[in-house]
Amino acid sequence: MHRVSRPSVSGILINAAALVLVLSYALPYIYLLMTSIKPAADVQQIPPSFFPAVISFENFREVLQSSTLPKAFINSLTVAMLTTALSLMVAVPAAYVATQYRRRITTFFLLFALVTRMVPSVSLGVPLFQLLKSIGLLDTIPGLVLAHTSAAVPLALLLMSAFFEGVPKELEEAARMDGCTRFQAFRKIILPIITGGIAVTALFTFITSWNEFLYALLLTSESTKTAPIVIAEYNSVYGLAWGAMTAAAVLYSLPVIIVTLALQKQIVGGLTFGAVKG
Amino acid sequence: MAGIELRNINKIYGNSFHALHDLSFDIKDGEFMVFVGPSGCGKSTALRMIAGLESISSGELKIDDRLVNDVDPKERDIAMVFQSYALYPHKTVRENIAFPLLMAGLPKAEIDSRVNEAARILELTTLLDRKPALLSGGQRQRVAMGRAIVRKPAAFLMDEPLSNLDAKLRVQMRAEIASLQRKLNVTTIYVTHDQVEAMTMGDRVAVMKGGVLQQVDTPQNLYKRPDNVFVAAFIGSPSMNLYEAVLNGRTLTLGSNSFEIPDRVFEGRPSLNGASNRQVIVGIRPEHMNDAAIRPSSAEISAPVTLVEALGSESMVHLNIDASWVDAGDPDAVADIGAEKAAVARFSPKSTIRAGDIARVAVDAEELHFFEPDTRTSIR
Ligand SMILES: Nc1ncnc2c1ncn2[C@@H]1O[C@H](COP(=O)(O)OP(=O)(O)O)[C@@H](O)[C@H]1O
Ligand SMILES: [Mg+2]
Repeated sequence: MHRVSRPSVSGILINAAALVLVLSYALPYIYLLMTSIKPAADVQQIPPSFFPAVISFENFREVLQSSTLPKAFINSLTVAMLTTALSLMVAVPAAYVATQYRRRITTFFLLFALVTRMVPSVSLGVPLFQLLKSIGLLDTIPGLVLAHTSAAVPLALLLMSAFFEGVPKELEEAARMDGCTRFQAFRKIILPIITGGIAVTALFTFITSWNEFLYALLLTSESTKTAPIVIAEYNSVYGLAWGAMTAAAVLYSLPVIIVTLALQKQIVGGLTFGAVKG
Repeated sequence: MAGIELRNINKIYGNSFHALHDLSFDIKDGEFMVFVGPSGCGKSTALRMIAGLESISSGELKIDDRLVNDVDPKERDIAMVFQSYALYPHKTVRENIAFPLLMAGLPKAEIDSRVNEAARILELTTLLDRKPALLSGGQRQRVAMGRAIVRKPAAFLMDEPLSNLDAKLRVQMRAEIASLQRKLNVTTIYVTHDQVEAMTMGDRVAVMKGGVLQQVDTPQNLYKRPDNVFVAAFIGSPSMNLYEAVLNGRTLTLGSNSFEIPDRVFEGRPSLNGASNRQVIVGIRPEHMNDAAIRPSSAEISAPVTLVEALGSESMVHLNIDASWVDAGDPDAVADIGAEKAAVARFSPKSTIRAGDIARVAVDAEELHFFEPDTRTSIR
């Protein structure tokens, strides 16, 4: 109690370091926000100003009225949500089995999933392109969902198995003694306990798909372009449309922020999972 | 309610570790059976096989005369209390206790009345709407008990249910569980590594060591007639004192001490008759060694006193007997005894003996135990 009122030297240092760290993360984003609300003409003024002289939403108007960006947002959202759902459907049961019924083969399985993350996506892009082309899923939402799922599942598997690892094995056994089948024990006891973990995994999977650039660039062309591709194109097609680009980028970051805030309670619950054990 | 029958049960784990060897015994309907033994001896393995949580490598397990080797846990009608209690953290106390009834598909009114009844018996009524995280250790233990008794199962299995409680609560719960079991009269198997728990709670006690059943009997019989050196030392506290000795006729030589054995000892042990230079392991319970100055006896030994623990009602006198000390093979006991390997005698509190004295110790020679030095089994 008394410590709080008397700031110590180390306390000040820690807070200062935290401030520097937060600013180094936040400054680019704040600058992006500031730029997006400048009039288009002011964006590239020399010398550049940090704060806008006049606040204007003309950049936002432009991107929202454009023919490409709203469509790209819908694509991105659809792909990210489907990827999240599909990844969870695969990773949650797989991670559960791999951790609860641990054998040498399941350990190998988890390790193997980790190894696939080490292959750079550039080298997977071309084979993926060929694969999707051969089954006619090139430039389609399902095609991109499959590609993103293949990238997201290993991460989801590792996260979920870490969460399942924290669930005492006796809970499943108690449920089975109380009259559950293995599946009922999973659905009625384990799943409700693990919702925080699932929320965290869902968020990371969503962000993985939402931010993904390379596969989207390779595997989509016209109808299914996602937001990151369209935002990048502001830089080439009509020269340098910095103002529109920053507005699009601000809009692009909103869903992630909204989802994170919406899942905040579950995420904190998921990250402090050990407390459930008691 | 049901009897449980084990016939030559073996457990070999996936890593080819042979955890249980030919376990065979019967548990009668309504009986309170305790599995006891040092940690790692296979008690939990045996219990989990009866529960159906662990597969049976070979042998037969029958519950109520039905072979259940391959029957799913949920079909065995058995309730289990886990060491960690395994309460469902997202459910309230009421939901925890009701869960097995819900799974059994009982009507809601029936569930409510049974849960309330169990809560009343276990004094949980005021806690029914709390989550387990907000309960004390003792309360969680009760909830785990409630979840077991509410079902009226054929049998209860309990794996060290009290080991996470503090000593005082443990003694209290020990009595409560024992009386609850007597009231409900449900076949119960109770696993513990604590021989005091085993002796005070069980109708019968199965002593295990290294995956092998050593002896099954009532607490009294285990104490009075242990089958081998391990059971002799494991049951009773302080442990039975075990030494190598030599028998010549009726004279027992224990290190530098010798004394005469009364005839009655030989009546029950014909193989000791007419012994000459017969090597034996002799066992003496602490209460069968007294201060000869207070209670003289025809069988006396003398030994230096290394320590006196005056407990008020009695004095634990540690003696340095110069015969060869026998290790009974209880891995948990080594820590207690340490390097000293002293004999412990339970003297009357009137004794004035002090550390450093040479004690004259009266041995109650009729109460001696004899074991074969090679097989370590009791000589009868
Ligand atoms: N799943 C398992 N795989 C391999 N060995 C095991 C497994 N479970 C228990 N054991 C071993 O079997 C022996 C008996 O274990 P356990 O029944 O838990 O003993 P206790 O309950 O008497 O302390 C121990 O040596 C333990 O290491
Ligand atoms: Mg155990």
